[in-house]
Amino acid sequence: MLPLSLLKTAQNHPMLVELKNGETYNGHLEACDNWMNIKLRDVICTSRDGDRFWRMPECYIRGSTIKYLRIPDEVIDMVKEDIVSKQRTKQQGTRGRGRGGPVHRGGFGSRGRGGPDKRGGRGGPR
Amino acid sequence: MTMNYMPGTASLIEEIDKKLLVVLRDGRTLIGFLRSIDQFANLVLHKTIERIHVGKQYGDIPRGIFVVRGENVVLLGEIDLDNENKLPLQQVSIDEILEAQRTEQLAKQEEEKAKVKAMRERGLQPQPSGMQEEF
Repeated sequence: MLPLSLLKTAQNHPMLVELKNGETYNGHLEACDNWMNIKLRDVICTSRDGDRFWRMPECYIRGSTIKYLRIPDEVIDMVKEDIVSKQRTKQQGTRGRGRGGPVHRGGFGSRGRGGPDKRGGRGGPR
Repeated sequence: MTMNYMPGTASLIEEIDKKLLVVLRDGRTLIGFLRSIDQFANLVLHKTIERIHVGKQYGDIPRGIFVVRGENVVLLGEIDLDNENKLPLQQVSIDEILEAQRTEQLAKQEEEKAKVKAMRERGLQPQPSGMQEEF
């Protein structure tokens, strides 16, 4: 699953965002887009030195200013479930095609890696 | 899984699910399993630890899942699982290494102050460090 798709799956989960300037924003992810711009809810902002704190009900962070995001471990388990349920709906849809369809898909899907996602190189939403 | 139409190209796909060491532009060292990538080299690291090096000592801080924006990565490399426990460095506790890091940071600040003073005394303008990209 692409990194940005993982972020979409992590909506409503708490996370920590560190900006390039060293500030950290702790809050719940409300929304994100293809440029990694994000909206957080119930945010606590900590300055680079860790000495000043701000609280705000919501904030918008431009993707280009982000250094990294730390997300809770449970999100990865959710992602695995997501992939499995998506494969199931795909297989149900292509069942009429016969052996050709599912066999082709199954080869990539079963490995559950980032491989097929890299195919298009456009990184658009799956 | 090998690239058959562009031999010799670098691709992060081959690094997926491997234990990697990633160095960020701010000087941080992260070690984790690469789970996902995209065309910007944004990374998803799993079971990540942040390793702080001070002299011959190091300390690991467990950090969970990291989504790193690609432009902040300097380099990454595969961890040699056979030799990762045979480092010529001493592992210490988190508190110890943070203390050591603080001391080192203070020493560097003092050094920087002395340099700036020396430059001013010689009639030179101290260079403003734009982006604090420490190493």
